[in-house]
Amino acid sequence: MATSAITELTAAFQEPFRALGRDAARDRDAVVISWPSVPVEIIRAAGLRAVVARSGAEPTPAADAVLEPDLFPSRLHQLVEAVLTGRLANVAAIVLPRTSDPDYKCFLYLRELVRRRVVGALPPVLLFDLLQSGGDEVARYDAARTRDLLATLARIAQRHLTDEDLRGASGAANTARAAARRLDALRRREPRLRGFEALPLLGAFWHLAPERYAVLAAAAAESIAARAPLTGLRTLFAGVPVDSNALHAAVESQGAIVVTEISPYGAETAGDDVDTASDPISAIAERYRTSSIDARTPIDALERRIERALPDVDAVVISLPRDDASFGWDYPRLRRLLERCSLPHAVLDGDPRRPIAASDLGRVAALVGASARPDASHG
Amino acid sequence: MAEKQLESTTRAAAFQKEWFGELRRRVFDERQPYALVQADVPFELFDLLDLPAVSNQWWSSLVAAKRQAPAFLDAMRADGIPEQLCRYCSLGLATTRYSRAGEAPWGGLPTPRLLCARLTCDCVHRVFSLWAEAFGAELFEIDHPGATELPPRWWELGRRRWRDLVEPHRLEFVAAALERLVEKLETISGRRLDRAALRARLERVNRQEEIFDEARKLIASAPATPVRMTEQIANVMATQWVRGTDWALAHAEHFRDEIARRVDEGVAAYANERRRLMWVGAGLWHDTDFYTAFEKSHGAVFVWSMYLAFGPDGYIRYGFDDPIEALASRTASFNEYLHNPPWAAEWIVEQARDHRIDAALVLHPRSLKPSATGRRFIEQALEEAGIPALPIEADVVDARAWDPAVTREAVRAFLDERVPR
Repeated sequence: MATSAITELTAAFQEPFRALGRDAARDRDAVVISWPSVPVEIIRAAGLRAVVARSGAEPTPAADAVLEPDLFPSRLHQLVEAVLTGRLANVAAIVLPRTSDPDYKCFLYLRELVRRRVVGALPPVLLFDLLQSGGDEVARYDAARTRDLLATLARIAQRHLTDEDLRGASGAANTARAAARRLDALRRREPRLRGFEALPLLGAFWHLAPERYAVLAAAAAESIAARAPLTGLRTLFAGVPVDSNALHAAVESQGAIVVTEISPYGAETAGDDVDTASDPISAIAERYRTSSIDARTPIDALERRIERALPDVDAVVISLPRDDASFGWDYPRLRRLLERCSLPHAVLDGDPRRPIAASDLGRVAALVGASARPDASHG
Repeated sequence: MAEKQLESTTRAAAFQKEWFGELRRRVFDERQPYALVQADVPFELFDLLDLPAVSNQWWSSLVAAKRQAPAFLDAMRADGIPEQLCRYCSLGLATTRYSRAGEAPWGGLPTPRLLCARLTCDCVHRVFSLWAEAFGAELFEIDHPGATELPPRWWELGRRRWRDLVEPHRLEFVAAALERLVEKLETISGRRLDRAALRARLERVNRQEEIFDEARKLIASAPATPVRMTEQIANVMATQWVRGTDWALAHAEHFRDEIARRVDEGVAAYANERRRLMWVGAGLWHDTDFYTAFEKSHGAVFVWSMYLAFGPDGYIRYGFDDPIEALASRTASFNEYLHNPPWAAEWIVEQARDHRIDAALVLHPRSLKPSATGRRFIEQALEEAGIPALPIEADVVDARAWDPAVTREAVRAFLDERVPR
């Protein structure tokens, strides 16, 4: 069960987006989202399943002709490529959240491609206009937009949804989050799995039915807990949130162990629970407003998450690729924080989805070499 | 820099310098508050509550025009901030955070009481948070909800049917944010906003933009453009930052009348005009000579930029039963009008036709993310309308990677090949 659980979780993370376009009947209940700041609770409450577009090394020639270079992350190139090559023709809907400007622009581009008949009929292309700043009007607005998205998805799925349906979906997701937290805890003080392995196990949360995820994650955790602790430089990934484990592989090849990352696919998968005691729509909206990790997450909120992670790490790797418009601004503050905590760091500027550049690899090797501790007690 | 052909331009430059000097005097000598704001916030609210507002983009363009940007941007790079991040929005921050790296114009920015920004691009929250931290000042943010309904011909709907132009939920949201801003400004100033005075101010803004509309029509219909694009920008922007004030109205009229006289007298900005160009994007502030560089060689004159045209099309709102809502309808979609499909391309093609444009140069400012998107849709729409378009890759304030000779040569080749005369 343990090995098959790990295999199933890994496949559930890697495969769903790639599989779209192969089986029209299978695609019909899929809602493609461009980043996991669209609440999976309401997608699932509507009887649909979320499939998240992620970055990849596969070429995207059709998308490259539409999207200006260096402005859109790889995951959006992959999404637009899938649209332009007809792979998303049968999905239930495509939802892009407002939680980064490239996602919003991509929404406008997709609408324009339809209007100009560059692509044929598409499923509904929706903007989930989640705002993340403060102000009373923001919470009200987010709740209204969440309600609007729920109504649209319910209409697409031809379902009538009650508050109890939503509370049930939130409760199930919270159970899955608890399982993800137990799994994530095995990476911390005495890590028993590498980040390369952990990220897919955690990230599968977004794709799997929560009940299934909870069972598989528990089985995987039980198996992993029996492993011997790993030694190596316990490393945090900060900067642009990774959505694949390619960078984990490169960094861990140099003797580090990525024990946590500020990413909704890794350590932040669980994030906070949805409050199931209050109005279900407002609770879901509030959870995603305050817990989503993305380019518009307020600088203080992000810094608090990094601070929380620091006691468990020996070093920090900060990924700031060329398409970043946001996280690079945090670097001077982050550097000061790391200096206060006497933690070494390295900044990588390569594309995290491609084989790591020699210059970045050199920075990682230097970080690991300089931080090497012969006894590596991790106490 | 090309010689100033209009007396209005000299007046506008003198006014700005005097205005900024007076601001510094008020702040330093009288300890009066002022606000540092993004260009797209409603300046009228600040002015009516006695909190003069300085535009971040104006300040950046001034620093760049004074050739001081490289020193500050180098200091920012040395601090580890990646090169690809937005320079236009952050150059002002650099002049504060790394104040010793260069010489900021006119004595530099004093410490504001408040910073205010709309959260359009992802960088804005971060740049303004760092800036507020550097000054030890407060930041007020207006979030930017995304548009989902973008009806055709926004510039016509916006004047009288502005409630049809912005989705009700977005209009309500932005209006609520502006009401919260009013409360903040009232707290700072210790005064209440006079809503009747706001209506009156917005009516005066309308009048100012109507005058600019007349100026635009004069330029579009004259046999040869009577005023260079750079002088259009200098006059319009000096006026827009203080829109609706006595000086702004008087200056708009003076500007329009001067253009009218030149048209009546048959005076052209360049006598041998043979090709009419449009510039799509923010101004190339570090090299404004670029805009006159093709006059002698090709008779190519820049006739149009967004700055004059956007005044009447983006700002005029008739019907002020709720002046905050009217302001919100203007504010809600600035970026969508200017940069995003389908609105930007549709408007720019319309403007190109009105101005008898022969070719367009389209700025691709990779670091300036909001105005770097939508470029391909704009170019495609122009080409489909029979207007050749040349992409120009450049940063609007950062001259460090700009090779003036190479770009000028590329433009000359483009004019020879695609716009023969």
